[in-house]
Amino acid sequence: MNPRRLIALTRAGIMESLHFRLGIFVTLFANLIYLVLVYYLWKAIYDSSGTDVVNGMTFTDTMIYLILATALFNFLEMFVVWDMSRSIQSGKIVLDLLKPMRFRIYTFWSYSGSHVVQFVLTFIPTFIVVMIVTGGAIKMGINLLWFVIATVFALIINYSIEMMVAPICLYTESTWGINIVKETIVLLLSGASIPLAFFPEKVRMIVDYLPFRAVYDIPLTMLLGKNGSDTPEGLLKMFGLQLAWILILTVAGNLFWNHAVKKITVNGG
Amino acid sequence: MENEAVVMKNVCKDFKVLNRHEGLAGSIKDLFSHDYKTVSAVKDVSLTVNRGEIIGYLGPNGAGKSTTIKMMTGVLEPSSGEILVNGKVPYKNRTENCENIGVVFGQRSQLWWSLPLIESFKLLRDLYMVPQKEYDEMIELYRSLVDIEPILHKPVRQMSLGQRTLSDILAAFLHNPAIVFLDEPTIGLDVSMKSKIRSLILGLNKEKNTTVILTTHDMGDVDALCKRIVIIDHGQKIYDNDIEHLKNYFGSYRTLKLCLADGTWEETLIDEKTTDVMDVIMARQKETKITDIKILEISTEDVIKKIYEGGSV
Repeated sequence: MNPRRLIALTRAGIMESLHFRLGIFVTLFANLIYLVLVYYLWKAIYDSSGTDVVNGMTFTDTMIYLILATALFNFLEMFVVWDMSRSIQSGKIVLDLLKPMRFRIYTFWSYSGSHVVQFVLTFIPTFIVVMIVTGGAIKMGINLLWFVIATVFALIINYSIEMMVAPICLYTESTWGINIVKETIVLLLSGASIPLAFFPEKVRMIVDYLPFRAVYDIPLTMLLGKNGSDTPEGLLKMFGLQLAWILILTVAGNLFWNHAVKKITVNGG
Repeated sequence: MENEAVVMKNVCKDFKVLNRHEGLAGSIKDLFSHDYKTVSAVKDVSLTVNRGEIIGYLGPNGAGKSTTIKMMTGVLEPSSGEILVNGKVPYKNRTENCENIGVVFGQRSQLWWSLPLIESFKLLRDLYMVPQKEYDEMIELYRSLVDIEPILHKPVRQMSLGQRTLSDILAAFLHNPAIVFLDEPTIGLDVSMKSKIRSLILGLNKEKNTTVILTTHDMGDVDALCKRIVIIDHGQKIYDNDIEHLKNYFGSYRTLKLCLADGTWEETLIDEKTTDVMDVIMARQKETKITDIKILEISTEDVIKKIYEGGSV
């Protein structure tokens, strides 16, 4: 992992993402529509519940959580599964395998540039807007630092999940359905579409230890200073969970990939 | 460094392919089928390529050319046999092997689609850890061989196929690899671009003593670049020698061209050992009027065609 290679890949990724600047604006616009929908949906839920606090979260809490989850989703979203299945079908994967770097590392750093662009162009503006509109509901302190660290870990976990699913297309030669299933599971169990606080107690106990939570829920909880993430023990527990999953998924992903890569039969002629 | 760039000993490659059944019912059956058949793409191929050589690796479609190349690059693992590329086993040291090889697949590009070519070059320079000085020298060499100015700052997706292929070849040589694999580099290109690319390959091979392994269906490429050719068919090596030897072997073949009264040329390939050229002309003359006659030595293209069609060597 030589930094020169990694910086070069990130740089090229940033340039490529900026090239598709129209796409970024479309994303922002689509988010706006989605957020309007989310706003009215949850407003109705809170109105009908008759109380101001549902499952320990106020309406404002829920909105901040979901808006930032959406912004985080845009920033973390990767198309590894999609890209890989396409490049397997077209045979282009051979060219990626012929780069003088390990495939897993090469692929990760090929996406890093677009993460940087998405973070600056979609997450930060959304964050600033939320901050201004809610007028100080988000604490400005050390929690920002924890959030950034947790987000970097989240990025790695998210990539590892992608890399657990993507090699399946080497066996099936088609991944559309698998990708949809994966996306739904991640969005539901990570807290990106419904805050985890709203899950039934028993389901939550399981979900709390799954890797999906480590992608969206942990960074957001830390940012908002909820669930004891403002105490050292709470922080330790959450970072511990993230690191454990990074370790598990990296080892498992590597084993799976090493097995899958042998399968490559790319339309040889 | 050893003198051999590539050594292959008794290399075989089998693929396991599911026996697909016909129709909708067949497709459903396939879901649970364990009915595999083994397809041998490469059978017992031995081959040695020396440093600085340009060899033409030929064979009809589906002969096993790409499979062999993928094994040499380390993407595929041979089912049996031994391969050494630059003295190392490619599939065991894939990333290491990649630092010393360059690859061009004529039908796809390794360049960054939306970026200007120069950015792809810079990225490849950093990926392959090429020192700035060597990179600058290489760019200078490129300048002396082809006119790269008009394409250097052009985004790759705006390039014509010829410009893109040219760029891909330059990109493959950028880190000064010991071996470059060119898989049908001139496919779909016009005549002038083809000759430009041929002289570029020749120039780079001469300057850097790069070993080039070229697969192509264009005999013009072979005539312009290769002294030695290797032909495989049905996964087996059927010829491995100088191109001159091949022509001598088929030396008794002549292409007879007859111009008919309506101005069209008729071509016949004749083996002088068995058939007399004059007999053919006379027989044809009885049927129609002949206005002109040409007798040509057999071209490489015809030789290769003979071999593909089963004329053993």
